[in-house]
Amino acid sequence: MAMSKRKRAQYIRYGQYGLLVVVAGLVAVLADWGQIRRAFFNTDIAASMFPNIITVALKNTILYTALGFGFGLALGLVLALMKLSTVAPYRWIATVYIEFFRGVPALLVFIGIYYGVPIAFQVQFPALTTVMLALGSVGAAYMAETIRAGIQAVPKGQVEAARSLGMSASRATITIVIPQAFRIILPPLTNELILLTKDSSLIYILGLFREQYELTKFGRETLSRSPSLTPILIAGLCYLIITLPLGYLSRYLERRTGGKKVSVL
Amino acid sequence: MSGAAVEITGLCKSFGPLEVLKGIDLTVLPGEVVCIIGPSGSGKSTMLRCVNILEEPTAGKVVVNGTELTDPDVDIDSARTKIGMVFQSFNLFSHLSVINNLTVAQRKVLKRGEKEAQEKALHNLERVGLSDKVNAMPAQLSGGQQQRVAIARALSMDPEVMLFDEPTSALDPELVGDVLGVMRQLADEGMTMLIVTHEMQFAREVADKVIFMDGGYVVEEGPAADVIGNPQEDRTKSFLARVLDPIHHGPSDPE
Ligand SMILES: Nc1ncnc2c1ncn2[C@@H]1O[C@H](COP(=O)(O)OP(=O)(O)OP(=O)(O)O)[C@@H](O)[C@H]1O
Ligand SMILES: [Mg+2]
Repeated sequence: MAMSKRKRAQYIRYGQYGLLVVVAGLVAVLADWGQIRRAFFNTDIAASMFPNIITVALKNTILYTALGFGFGLALGLVLALMKLSTVAPYRWIATVYIEFFRGVPALLVFIGIYYGVPIAFQVQFPALTTVMLALGSVGAAYMAETIRAGIQAVPKGQVEAARSLGMSASRATITIVIPQAFRIILPPLTNELILLTKDSSLIYILGLFREQYELTKFGRETLSRSPSLTPILIAGLCYLIITLPLGYLSRYLERRTGGKKVSVL
Repeated sequence: MSGAAVEITGLCKSFGPLEVLKGIDLTVLPGEVVCIIGPSGSGKSTMLRCVNILEEPTAGKVVVNGTELTDPDVDIDSARTKIGMVFQSFNLFSHLSVINNLTVAQRKVLKRGEKEAQEKALHNLERVGLSDKVNAMPAQLSGGQQQRVAIARALSMDPEVMLFDEPTSALDPELVGDVLGVMRQLADEGMTMLIVTHEMQFAREVADKVIFMDGGYVVEEGPAADVIGNPQEDRTKSFLARVLDPIHHGPSDPE
């Protein structure tokens, strides 16, 4: 009389589907769809956001991220090489930098560079420079560790082959090790790019001109004129336009290099 | 000084407390092929790597074509361009195509023009029988092909001496012949070669001189026919017995 295990599992699954249908049905009947549609997707507000959300906000988000990523990558590479240096003080400096910038909130770095630096040094960076420095110096701390791991993952035989052909240590690093290291770390670097894309929203705290708005600031600003979740939803979708493909790219690269890592000696 | 291609005197090398080479003397004449044999851990690779200072000798002197490489003031990078090295694990640059593997050091180190480097590379690919693999990536090649590309890469620098560290040990048995064939052809053309190998047949046929190393010393050296065919030292005899007839000998020799 006892039900077989498989049969029971099947009934439980039916039960779960049933519950889902009941809840969905209740929501459909009880919810005020007009209100929900107005709150989340007001077509007039959505329409009013175009084309600026693309031509200004999305463009700026990409621009800020690219600047921060470029600066962070360059600084991260320098930090990684310092961390691998045979000169101990270089390693210490790099370690202190990396631990500091990984340990403090990115927002604090933005505030420090935008408000702190001008007060301390009587220089005011333009917004673009602030984003580049702030996003870059935080990103560099994370990327340095990734790049260092990548450099160390390049097989020792590669350097030996390069040296035996007469390349100097630095020539071998530049020509052989770094290009191979970047191949290895392409997936985590892509993830870093995704994080920076989202962190670029921190520029929100700076005083900006309208044409300097990025997605978050643009969404917030639209919201203040139109009481609806629509601007935030649209801004969020715009982030997904960037981050979703990058996420897929990262996973694709991971699978590819993951399969390849085995064949690397 | 003699006109030796490689002159090693009193070479010692320690890794921390581990003394690997305890005083090696070796002379290689121009055009000579010297095979180095010996049990695992006897220091063969270390000795070979001291010839181009991939390992820094602890003591002793290494002179290659009249340049003392153990001199602290020597330009080791420029000296290494004249010493080709072939590794057990090939070590082709995995991010570069075959042709770029062969041209990168020519261009960056020897400062050869693109055209000259390409011509040199194509010529050497032809020598190792891989003209059809110009644009392949290393991962697309068999082990035997990779090793022949590695030889061509070393040859593209126009070296005066070639070092081989067990070039066929990582290969499937059926691919060993291709690589040995290329090496034999190099020997016939008069290249000076130092070869660490377990291929006794090859050593016998191609080597002008065979060195048997054990425990950080050169135990026996002489013409291949003598050292392999009629060894005098007990350690050489028991090593050869194990290598040539592994089934009928225990894992290690008592003594
Ligand atoms: N970089 C290193 N650091 C520490 N010890 C080392 C290093 N390289 C080699 N050795 C040690 O030196 C000894 C000799 O090694 P070597 O590679 O020269 O032997 P080998 O004769 O080439 O052996 P095999 O036939 O196994 O290649 C071994 O005990 C090895 O563990
Ligand atoms: Mg060895």
